[in-house]
Amino acid sequence: MATQRVLPQSKESLLQNYNKRLKDDIRSILDNLTEIIKTAKIEDETQVARATQAEQDHYEMHVRAANIVRAGESLMKLVSDLKQFLILNDFPSVNDAISLQNQQLRSLQEECDKKLTSLRDEIAIDLYELEEEYYSSSYSQWDSTDLPLYEAYRRRDSWASPGSSCSSTQGDREDVEGPPSQETNPQHHLNGHGTSSIEKL
Amino acid sequence: MANERLRALEEVEKEIATILQCAGNIVLELSKDKHNASLLDRQLVQFQGSVNRVESELSGQIRYLTQVATGQPHEGSTYSARKDCQMALNRAEYAKVKLGELGRTCEVMLEQQQQQQQQQPPLT
Repeated sequence: MATQRVLPQSKESLLQNYNKRLKDDIRSILDNLTEIIKTAKIEDETQVARATQAEQDHYEMHVRAANIVRAGESLMKLVSDLKQFLILNDFPSVNDAISLQNQQLRSLQEECDKKLTSLRDEIAIDLYELEEEYYSSSYSQWDSTDLPLYEAYRRRDSWASPGSSCSSTQGDREDVEGPPSQETNPQHHLNGHGTSSIEKL
Repeated sequence: MANERLRALEEVEKEIATILQCAGNIVLELSKDKHNASLLDRQLVQFQGSVNRVESELSGQIRYLTQVATGQPHEGSTYSARKDCQMALNRAEYAKVKLGELGRTCEVMLEQQQQQQQQQPPLT
């Protein structure tokens, strides 16, 4: 609690300091320019010689002009400090910036994942056709425990609707060798190359 | 919202430069033998306007900060979302690499097939 009481005081004192600097610098600029304009007025009667008065006025104007420039630079430093304070302590804007950034990052991530998912689906379709082609050709060497992807899908479809696909599956069974026990097992041991590459994605 | 306030402060910096520019022009005009009164008036009006704008804007910013600042550090971060996005990009990069390898493998096999077909003697 003691630490919490210290922090607001430093924040208050810092902001009061900013106010004071602002008022002092603006006052300095106005006063010095006013005095320069007053000094520029030529007076007929002077207490010292005209040359001395001119030299004094010249020096005074130099100093006042330097004061105006110093006050201007002090104002620029104040603006820089305010910018820094704003970035660090303006919580509403920091929260907005964080939520906007999170939203952008999440939308990018979702878009990336959506495209990867559609790519996976397209590759799965192509793989299905390629396996169908490969395993129906003379080049394939597969044993009775392995089922190609297209055969697994065909048998799953036949279980889902036995009436419609009965004739097609019977024709396939004449070509495909396999133990009858595999027909009852809905989860077949699919071709490892086909599924592992999809799952890895 | 943050950008608007920072942009306003940048405008204030330009106004401060205008203040100094106007003050210099006024002193320069006063140094001449014959003063141009209209120019002096214009520069003075611009000077006063800039000073008032700078003072009001900076006072407003300080007042806003007095209401909003707590003195505590902000503990929000975008780390989790950034990490998730980075992982998604890594997944895409990995898929790209794997597809590249697959493509190269297919090209190599096609080349071998073509070479074999060229080596086989033509049937008569």
